[in-house]
Amino acid sequence: MTDPAADAIAALVHRRVSVEEVRAALEDDLTSGEREHVEVLVRWFTRRYPTGAERLAYVRRAYRRWTAQRPDLPR
Amino acid sequence: MEPSEFDELAFFRAIDASGARALLIGRRALVLLGLPVLTADYDFWIAIDDIALFNVAAAGQGLLPTHEPEAARQRGRYVLENDEHVDVLVARSIPTLGGQQVEFEALWSRRKPLALGDGVSINLPSLDDLILTKQVAGRPGDLDDIRLLRALREREPGA
Repeated sequence: MTDPAADAIAALVHRRVSVEEVRAALEDDLTSGEREHVEVLVRWFTRRYPTGAERLAYVRRAYRRWTAQRPDLPR
Repeated sequence: MEPSEFDELAFFRAIDASGARALLIGRRALVLLGLPVLTADYDFWIAIDDIALFNVAAAGQGLLPTHEPEAARQRGRYVLENDEHVDVLVARSIPTLGGQQVEFEALWSRRKPLALGDGVSINLPSLDDLILTKQVAGRPGDLDDIRLLRALREREPGA
């Protein structure tokens, strides 16, 4: 049995984007909110996890926490 | 089935020591650059002649190739897997959705080594080249990653 909502989400996630969408991602102005979001994220992440190994380890832990709530995702 | 004991730093150390020309691409490259994004797998683009070297390095973590080197060369990609999943691109060049050819050798010549710690380093594409690799698969998440990388590039010009 399939879940229509899950199927709809999967279709959105796995669809192939258009050349125009890629061009927009490359060329449209970034918003001040996007810049600020990245600034805050990067500052927190790189201070909290200064080495590459620590950053990778953090993402493995975070992914495990996330998939623990989502048994349909790869572990 | 018990999950494998994957030692991530040992995996990268083995790649570093193998002599294989390997670029870490995909979302784990974004993570190393300071963007905390989630991902399930590892993505590498390696030199087409270095498949055997790369596979030996991965074998230390129990990762097995889905294709023999010759078949992988013909397909342009293969996977190393156990309960970890490593996508390996081995094409000499790949086209973006817009038709631009992205060549491994060009990216390799502009690579940026990044220290992981404990004497281990890994090679990443330059920021501009990483943005190029995000124009190949045509996944919606790549659009978000392109904008994140553009914001990072503005923050760190010349990276």
